Amino acid sequence: MRSENSSFNFPFSHIYVEDAIRDHELTRRILARFSKSVVIPINHYKDVFNRSRQNFGIQKSSQALILAKNTGASIFPGAPVCQDFGYDHFYYASSIRNCIFDCEYCFLKGMYGSGNIVVFVNLENTFSELEALLKKHPVYLCVSYDTDLIALESLTGFATRWAEFARSHKDLTIEIRTKSFRKDIYEKIEPCDRVIFAYTLSPDEIIEKHEKKTATLKERLEAASCAMNKGFPVRLCFDPIIYCKNWKAAYFSMLKTANENIDIHRLKDVSVGSFRIPADYIKKLRKDFPDSPVCQFPYENRNGVFCYPEKLADEMEEYLISLLERLMDKEKIFRIENSENS
Amino acid sequence: MFYFVCALYAEAKPLISALSLRKDAFSCPYDTYFSEDSSVVLAISGTGPIAGAAATSYLLTRFGFRNHADFLINFGSCAGNEPGLHLINKITDDTTGRTFYPDMLYDLSSCGLPSSSEKALVTVPRVVSSLEDPSCLYDMEASGIYQAASHVLSPHRVLFLKYVSDSGVDAEKTITAEKLTEDSGKHIPTVLSVLEKLAEACEEKPFIDEELLVSTSLALHLSDTLRHELRQLFMYAQASGTNIKEILDALDAEGKLDVSSKREGKVVLDEIRKQLI
Repeated sequence: MRSENSSFNFPFSHIYVEDAIRDHELTRRILARFSKSVVIPINHYKDVFNRSRQNFGIQKSSQALILAKNTGASIFPGAPVCQDFGYDHFYYASSIRNCIFDCEYCFLKGMYGSGNIVVFVNLENTFSELEALLKKHPVYLCVSYDTDLIALESLTGFATRWAEFARSHKDLTIEIRTKSFRKDIYEKIEPCDRVIFAYTLSPDEIIEKHEKKTATLKERLEAASCAMNKGFPVRLCFDPIIYCKNWKAAYFSMLKTANENIDIHRLKDVSVGSFRIPADYIKKLRKDFPDSPVCQFPYENRNGVFCYPEKLADEMEEYLISLLERLMDKEKIFRIENSENS
Repeated sequence: MFYFVCALYAEAKPLISALSLRKDAFSCPYDTYFSEDSSVVLAISGTGPIAGAAATSYLLTRFGFRNHADFLINFGSCAGNEPGLHLINKITDDTTGRTFYPDMLYDLSSCGLPSSSEKALVTVPRVVSSLEDPSCLYDMEASGIYQAASHVLSPHRVLFLKYVSDSGVDAEKTITAEKLTEDSGKHIPTVLSVLEKLAEACEEKPFIDEELLVSTSLALHLSDTLRHELRQLFMYAQASGTNIKEILDALDAEGKLDVSSKREGKVVLDEIRKQLI
């Protein structure tokens, strides 16, 4: 996509800081850590994040950090294309937008015009919003959908704060999804059966080709195993399944590695789902990443969601489920299609 | 290709000389200079944000700016307290209060522009008599140039290089055309170094064989919708490293491309898809 000889600034070489949170404790902590970065004061994060004609892919080569105050809602109902694992009140929280990882197929590339990362430093406001919601009903909340909180833990400490918040609110169950290798967080927080750590797994060849900067399969499994040994509920997400010519062999090998490196019987559950993405997002992805086979795949448009051809999607999902059923209880396997246990 | 917008000829003169630019002999709304190999084009905009915006629009549209390969650079003088050449990371339009942010992706420290050279700049529509914010630079064009450019190009494809000519006070009338040219000349090696560095930053765009796409669409009697599907198959083949011509040649050898209706064409389209996946 770009010349190898171009040299980019280091990640977070430029930090944009909203005037409203310049003196926030987290802002000061982050800025102290990046003493060599150029700090640019801004009035509102959208002045930077929402500029027209940004190039997401190029910006990933030298991501800027934007520290902002979230003044609107930060808790949203879960999207229909996402797995709710049988919970009635499924929401997701958006305290950080974008991710330091660079997955080729990531929906964030279709959702946002910018590849830069926004951290809403006022997480306490999100907690207040959530407490109001908890007064109405129990909540199942995915806190790491718009980012990878574990990967950004040393920067923000948000995963720890979410885990502690969930521990002290009995009607709240959270899921922290990640592709990180980091295990240190499990030393810092107390286990809680309502704090689910979810590891997205892919075969190594998919990781290498399409999930840049993320942990290897083995590293993810080691981290997941560590979480489980510390007493946390762990979920494995075989979602999204990404098609490749030898998908059957690749996913068989992945599951074999998983079985060798983690006690599958002790998992809370697993999810299975082939790649799917809203039509508007794939349009942008295809325009921005013309050389990506995952983006350019000739998907079928099913009610505004682009999916693999039905036969292929079924074949891939059912194959993986058939392998999983040999290793664990059927009740623990969630397939995305109809949100019912397979 | 590099597109330069300079407010005054006096500022541009050393650059025109260093890059051996020739004046466009045709009648142009702005004095325009270009290099023999057409890798650089430069326009003299005149002073003020509107003049800067108008010249930018003229330049980008006349020469067909390519957003994946070209750069727009505003080079010129400004008022400020810190001498030297500066890379601008924030532009505030003094009239409207709006702010603009060019992307700061490229490490230009090896060109003589370390991060410490970066500054915020305020664009004012008149000559300033003092620096309201001493930490900022003041010019008369940048916000107009950025706004006009943002309709065409990405924020990482525009750079503002500003050299300090004065501190906003010119009681003794020392800021002459000669002085602006002399000061500009001091920074030309840095500008040339930036050009050398950025020349490497081309985002190559993969392309598909449009001729083959059209001829196949016609042969298969495809409707607009199915033609779009075929284009997507071409894109996927390109991205996944599959030679679609080989697939089409094989189908042709079997006589399958010789169809007489849309319906038959769709069957062949499905066959191409099947072979690709």
